[in-house]
Amino acid sequence: MSLALELKTQALANARRHGSESEALEALEAASFPERKTERWKYTSLQALADGHLDGITSGEVSQPLPALSEFVVTLTNGELTGSTLPDGVNLHHDAPAVNGLETPFAIYNGAVARPVVLEVAANTRIEQPLHIQIQAASEAPAHCNPRVIVKLNTGAEATVIEHYHAEGQALTNAVTALITADNAQLTHYRLQGEEAGTLHIGTVIVDQQGVSKVDSYQLMTGNRLRRNDVRALVGKSGAELNMKGIFVVRDKSHVDNQMCVEHMVPHCESDQNFKGLAGESGKAVFNGRIHIHPGASGTNAELSNKNLLLNPGAEINTKPELEIYNDDVKCAHGTTVGQLDAGQQFYLQSRGIPAAQAKRMLSLGFVNELLMALPHQQVAEWATPWLEAELTHKQPAGDTAA
Amino acid sequence: MLEIRDLHATVADKPILKGLNLTVNPGEVHAIMGPNGSGKSTLANVLAGRDNYEITGGDALFEGKSLADMEPEERAQAGLFLAFQYPVEIPGVSNMEFLKAALESVRKAQGKEEWDSVTLLRQARAACKQVDLDAGFLKRGVNEGFSGGEKKRNEIMQMLLMEPKLALLDETDSGLDIDALQTVAKGVNSLRNPERGIVLVTHYQRLLDYIVPDFVHVLSNGQIIKSGGKELALELEQKGYGWLTGEEESA
Repeated sequence: MSLALELKTQALANARRHGSESEALEALEAASFPERKTERWKYTSLQALADGHLDGITSGEVSQPLPALSEFVVTLTNGELTGSTLPDGVNLHHDAPAVNGLETPFAIYNGAVARPVVLEVAANTRIEQPLHIQIQAASEAPAHCNPRVIVKLNTGAEATVIEHYHAEGQALTNAVTALITADNAQLTHYRLQGEEAGTLHIGTVIVDQQGVSKVDSYQLMTGNRLRRNDVRALVGKSGAELNMKGIFVVRDKSHVDNQMCVEHMVPHCESDQNFKGLAGESGKAVFNGRIHIHPGASGTNAELSNKNLLLNPGAEINTKPELEIYNDDVKCAHGTTVGQLDAGQQFYLQSRGIPAAQAKRMLSLGFVNELLMALPHQQVAEWATPWLEAELTHKQPAGDTAA
Repeated sequence: MLEIRDLHATVADKPILKGLNLTVNPGEVHAIMGPNGSGKSTLANVLAGRDNYEITGGDALFEGKSLADMEPEERAQAGLFLAFQYPVEIPGVSNMEFLKAALESVRKAQGKEEWDSVTLLRQARAACKQVDLDAGFLKRGVNEGFSGGEKKRNEIMQMLLMEPKLALLDETDSGLDIDALQTVAKGVNSLRNPERGIVLVTHYQRLLDYIVPDFVHVLSNGQIIKSGGKELALELEQKGYGWLTGEEESA
């Protein structure tokens, strides 16, 4: 039996045991798990899942919980809600709306077995403090969990959510996050990664702009043994605006596969994406930036930039813009580059007495600094700066995950 | 402090310096002049240790130690400073962060007292003022979006802070208007003292109106072909280089 079929068989068995609804089971039955030749998965081998990662987590404790970045924290542990402190105006419930736009078999499987956590922000309410959603997992043996978080901003609501991952041991986190915005809603979204290098992550983010809304998303990712990010934005009402910025860093043997997709479905919307990648040692990163402008979506303004830096010859970054445009009246700019540290800049720093290794670190940090400086929340910037410095120096930041 | 003996060097395997001799003692200001392509900038870059600039023969000793054995950062830590002809832009690394890293490293290596951030900022502001550079430049990326003149002033500002034993200035005068030239010269002159050596690499005499050298050398085809006092520069200004190199050149 092929690995794809094995995974699907186990996923279905898990779903049946869970007592999933027939609709969800049918969707999972119809889904095909990626084979080696599946185009969207060509850079990510699922071989790491072959040793029982679709089992449920039976033992494992989170030994180093994440620091709270806000007074309002929601915690999910191994896929289950384990704590929440929320302000007035935010309602936590489990009555999840259907999530549009899910494509990968892992997201469909998540839908069949997860117990969703829904955070609903009341209409015309502005939540000042960020909502820090800590999604943690720990497992001694290869096993997985299925956190599913849905953030819904009703008409005129304004909020910041920090989606923050942490995992220990051999856990696979198979996560789905949906961000749904109604008219006049404003959402600032962070997706932060603090998972240990030996863990696995397959995650899907759906941005569903059902209303004329503004979404700013900041995604800071390091690679793990296997990390896959499927980010799909449905820009669905004229006048909606989407900005996504991000940094991804892969060191040693880590891996990150980013599959971005922005769907412009209606006229007169704007999207802007700016991602920067760094790869060192045998790290491997993928960035596929798809922009799909549907028929009739005239007046669209879509931009995408992905610049990457290779720190040494063994590292690998595969980046590709992918444009599918069914309209003449659109503005669509894209650019992807892969380069190395500039020898002239490095010499300049060294000629002022700065040792070579430190000079490299300063230049690498400088490369992504523009995005780091753009983080609008001080508490996130304060977490992110040492996090990134630690990634660049190969040291674990104090109080964070141990290797 | 600097002793260059029969120095041969290549740039990307092409021989440029072909037996250069030069001795700089503490307190002396030397000007190295010469036509384009004579090897002036090569000399500065070889001494600072740029990649692809390779010493293939002879030696360059700085305080008795061979520069060829030292990494660029070790040369700086030992007290060598090169003011670049074309300073690079480094977006994302702020001037202040850069100065902090450089001064920490160099002052530590030289056994000088470490500056805390308040002292560093005060010193950096004073140095900026001395070269007429707005202190706002400290927050910007290193040389990022600076005009040609601002880049040169930024080089001199760094030099003032680093307090090198030997300063090499590579065509610092090029691209400067007369006001900027005077400001830069004032900065350099303020560093003149009996312990410090200064080497000015320049194509034109005009810088030497403001920084008066003790010695002037003419570099041609990778060798110093004539040395003299400051009056040699004036003679070159009148006659060009042709009478020395045997070639037609309008300086």
